[in-house]
Amino acid sequence: MKHLETSAVVRPLGLWFGALSLLASAGCATVRPEQRAVLADPTMQFDAKSADQAALEHALDNREGSTGGGSVRGGGCGCN
Amino acid sequence: MLQPMSSREGSAPRAFVHARRRWLSALGFLALIGGAASAQAQVAALDVSSALFVEPSKRSGLTVVNPSATLAVSPNDWLTVQGAYEADIVSGASESLKGGRLSNVDIVSSATHFSDTRHALTGGFTVTRASTHLSGSYTYGQEHDYRSNAFAVSAGTDFLQKNTQIELSYGRGFDQVCTTAFAASDAPSSRLALDNSQGCFTDDKKRAARDISLDNFQVGWTQTWTPVFATQMVLSAALQHGFLGNPYRSVVIAPAGDQALENHPENRARGALGLRGKYYVRNLQTAFSAGARLYRDTWDIFGQTYELDAERYMLPWLRVLLRARYYTQTKALFWSDDYTGGEPQTGPRGQYWSGDRELSPLSSYLIGGRALATRQGRPGARVFGLFLSLSGSVGMDLLKTNLRDFTLGGRAPDDTLAMLWSLGVRGEF
Repeated sequence: MKHLETSAVVRPLGLWFGALSLLASAGCATVRPEQRAVLADPTMQFDAKSADQAALEHALDNREGSTGGGSVRGGGCGCN
Repeated sequence: MLQPMSSREGSAPRAFVHARRRWLSALGFLALIGGAASAQAQVAALDVSSALFVEPSKRSGLTVVNPSATLAVSPNDWLTVQGAYEADIVSGASESLKGGRLSNVDIVSSATHFSDTRHALTGGFTVTRASTHLSGSYTYGQEHDYRSNAFAVSAGTDFLQKNTQIELSYGRGFDQVCTTAFAASDAPSSRLALDNSQGCFTDDKKRAARDISLDNFQVGWTQTWTPVFATQMVLSAALQHGFLGNPYRSVVIAPAGDQALENHPENRARGALGLRGKYYVRNLQTAFSAGARLYRDTWDIFGQTYELDAERYMLPWLRVLLRARYYTQTKALFWSDDYTGGEPQTGPRGQYWSGDRELSPLSSYLIGGRALATRQGRPGARVFGLFLSLSGSVGMDLLKTNLRDFTLGGRAPDDTLAMLWSLGVRGEF
């Protein structure tokens, strides 16, 4: 039987993370506070806490063999 | 865990009555804290929501009602205290015995009715200072056959003029599941499944409580790139250790029809990477979102998720979101539809056996949407004289699952179309 190794998970995900981090650091764009009207709108938020989204993730967690990688709160902010 | 109806017959367990009293006391305490705090709070928010999940079937349908309430109070600029209650009210029927195409036993008539309610109570806080926040929470969950204690902490900050946000979180769970009282030295093929939850978490010698430990790690990175474009990447990892099978499910493991309790490995490491972007199209006045998620675990399941959604304001107070999702996964290394055949496709796969459809190769399609109405007030002109803002949402989703290899005695299950409705109300006062 094939060995079940943690490295089978960690290695590819680590490579993805590293590659995307390099991509991001290569082009740190800056959006000034006065340009954030659209980003601050609720439709542009990565919202992990809406009622329908929470219910959907709860249902899918019980119907699929995978989990994780969902949204965390964040997004544009109009504050200074 | 789900529990057969038969276990509820007879007297209501004394432990359950005591537990219910504890819940009511805890809720009363929560309301007291909320009431006392809101008297001097700058903002208090109450979220009340409920979801209904229905999976129709001629033999093994499932209905789940999921009400929840969250009260968050911010007595000052830097502190938010919150308490939440959530329940899962589950009823339906499921097959307690799993066999595949070659199993010479009656799987279909093994379907038994069950009903159970999970209660979960959460208390937590968030401290915010300038651009950094720190949160902590504790959740206690209880069912007839399952108990959970979970601690979670998270910290986040933003920098580069708030264009970059990083959030780290860690959760630790100490759970217990009820099983029959087999010894660790007993051969897995001789272990029996539960037929009901009577005697669980008591000194009943026929029952045992098995530990499950859970560690969850998550890193989230949100980046704004232009005034209309932002991305988010979330990396998650989870470690699970303990009894990871279903204590009620038996699997046919020999051509003569021999059955044994589902036997899963005791360790599982899981990892997922999600990447999504949001882009606002000014001409259409619509925010579009696209996302992909890759998942991998040490049981050899590889999952891929692709999502699209679009949201726009139909009226100044009403916004509508439409979404679509595709998911596909490979099977677990030890998955087989039938463990009696002896051939790679239908025979044993190592030392483990499972009847869990979540570990079989499958794909699913989801379409759905949500409408959300918000009304804003202000001090002196509150909505209904009470709320600074009030919003209500209605959601509906359809989920169609394609089980590529899973059968019940050679017959494809008919419970592969599920519907989810959600209803939520949020008020700030």
